[in-house]
Amino acid sequence: MGWQRSFLGFFDARFDTDTGRKLVEKQVFKRLPPHTGWLHVFASLSLFLFISQTVTGILLLMYYRPTPEAAHKSIQYLTGEVQFGWLYRQVHAWGATLMIMALLLHMCRTYFMGAYKKPRELTWVTGVLLFIVTITFGFTGYLLPWNQIAFWATTVGTESAAKVPFIGHWLQYFLRGGDVVAGETLSRFFVVHVIILPWVLTGLVGLHLFLMRLNNLSSSKRVDESEEFPPETGIPFFPVHAAKEVSVLILLVAVLVTLSVLLPWEIGEPADPLSTPSHIKPEWYFLPSYQLLKYFEGPYGAFIGIIACTVPFVLLIVWPFVDRGKERHPRKRPLAVSIGLVGLVGALFLGWLGHVSETDINVFGQRYHIDLLGWPHKLADGEEGGGHDGAGGESAPGEH
Amino acid sequence: MQYKQKTSRRGFLDWLIGLCSAISGAAMTIPSLMYLWPAAQGGESSNVEVPGAENLSVGTSTKVQVGPRAVIVVRGRDGYVAFSAVCTHLGCLVRWDPGKKQFLCPCHAAAFDDKGQVVSGPPPGPLEPYKVKEVSGKVFVSSI
Ligand code: HEM
Ligand code: FES
Repeated sequence: MGWQRSFLGFFDARFDTDTGRKLVEKQVFKRLPPHTGWLHVFASLSLFLFISQTVTGILLLMYYRPTPEAAHKSIQYLTGEVQFGWLYRQVHAWGATLMIMALLLHMCRTYFMGAYKKPRELTWVTGVLLFIVTITFGFTGYLLPWNQIAFWATTVGTESAAKVPFIGHWLQYFLRGGDVVAGETLSRFFVVHVIILPWVLTGLVGLHLFLMRLNNLSSSKRVDESEEFPPETGIPFFPVHAAKEVSVLILLVAVLVTLSVLLPWEIGEPADPLSTPSHIKPEWYFLPSYQLLKYFEGPYGAFIGIIACTVPFVLLIVWPFVDRGKERHPRKRPLAVSIGLVGLVGALFLGWLGHVSETDINVFGQRYHIDLLGWPHKLADGEEGGGHDGAGGESAPGEH
Repeated sequence: MQYKQKTSRRGFLDWLIGLCSAISGAAMTIPSLMYLWPAAQGGESSNVEVPGAENLSVGTSTKVQVGPRAVIVVRGRDGYVAFSAVCTHLGCLVRWDPGKKQFLCPCHAAAFDDKGQVVSGPPPGPLEPYKVKEVSGKVFVSSI
């Protein structure tokens, strides 16, 4: 086409466009290992969700105001008055949850397929950092609507920071911007959520993708075997793998919008620093730590509790340097796979306990009150388990 | 000989540039770290008037902000008592249950008696007491 040639010709006459074109083509048509398939799409889902969070986040920023007086009202205005404001708020809120789910699936994929092994240890380490940054996004973003649940969940969450050995009180004071959660906290969380973390995450994603492309995706061969494959057996990133990714992305958009319409996130009551509502729980991805912390009480217990919550993350970071086995295929790594499964099931179980704790549940027609620590207590017909005088709390072990 | 002298002069200049960069770096970092350290939050923390305390009936309570913290004031048979409303477990605010004569925490079902001592639940210590003063019918609280 004439206009196209003259358009590109303008640049060709001025820059060394050949080198640039070759670089781009090399990346776009790169051959991925032959086993690359549907399980490999979770990472691009996370990447897409991060982009979606950035776009919807910037849109929300047009109306959001980060002060205790205005924050809650500005969100009400945004969702009630602004055209499609509700949609962007819902897509941002659901996007956060889906992004963490996609990351967890991506981590499981790389863990069980042994993709973290030499030479990709640093890809894994940057990945764990990405995960930590992402949940920090969740923690800081949760406070921004300045509603009761967010205010008190943040109070309890930052209170746990005070249990960190030696520096806990300073850490808590620093996080809150003072003694209690207040306007200073909102400003801090706001800046971290909308400026600092997005740039940190952008840098980390860039590094992560760069490392991933440098070593290509892993094969299922042993670490000491060559990972070379005949190029004609490889899967071209474009168009073959990209087509898989785009089809899953379309599905994801449908899921995002469906969730936003059918299960919208509530705005809730505005924060009241003089009264705590009952049943404050953190977001689902903090439930395992939330529940784990409950088992460690008293001055020394709290120490141990915080350490118990940190160890899994430290273990994740150092894991490629701990597991130096040469095999990648899951069937040849029974120990690593068992450890992974135990960790996964343990986290899911703790999270579930955290979710049902201090509620009444029904098991085959028998009602139980689940206390703070997750112990079930049988309830007689019509008895209410909640509150202070039910079967809960008082009789649980560890509370005497 | 001449060559050697040259390199050592250059070495010295390199060293000087390094030192000056380090000093400028520190000079820029330290104030920015101090800037990030929280300044005191506003609010009076002594002799804060408890609004409407004189109208409380015996056995009921109200809350007031003292400095940055919430304080709960209960009118007893013989005068007022005040405690920090902040549960010593994880920082939720307790409420006063007039029937049981206990402070109850909504978060993990803790109970404190009317002296602020733990009756049940996970808190590691008692509620922090506040000083109460009555001046010509008005009630004032201060941190101890
Ligand atoms: C914003 C977050 C993240 C984005 C956008 C992202 C993106 C990607 C992409 C596009 C790939 C290539 C496709 C694939 O291998 O599935 C990849 C590879 C990889 N990622 Fe992530 N990732 C993120 C977080 C993580 C996390 C949390 C971990 C693990 C803790 C991780 C570990 C890895 C590893 C080890 C590889 C190499 C996989 C291989 O060689 O087969 N990533 N990442
Ligand atoms: S915060 Fe009061 S019992 Fe946990």
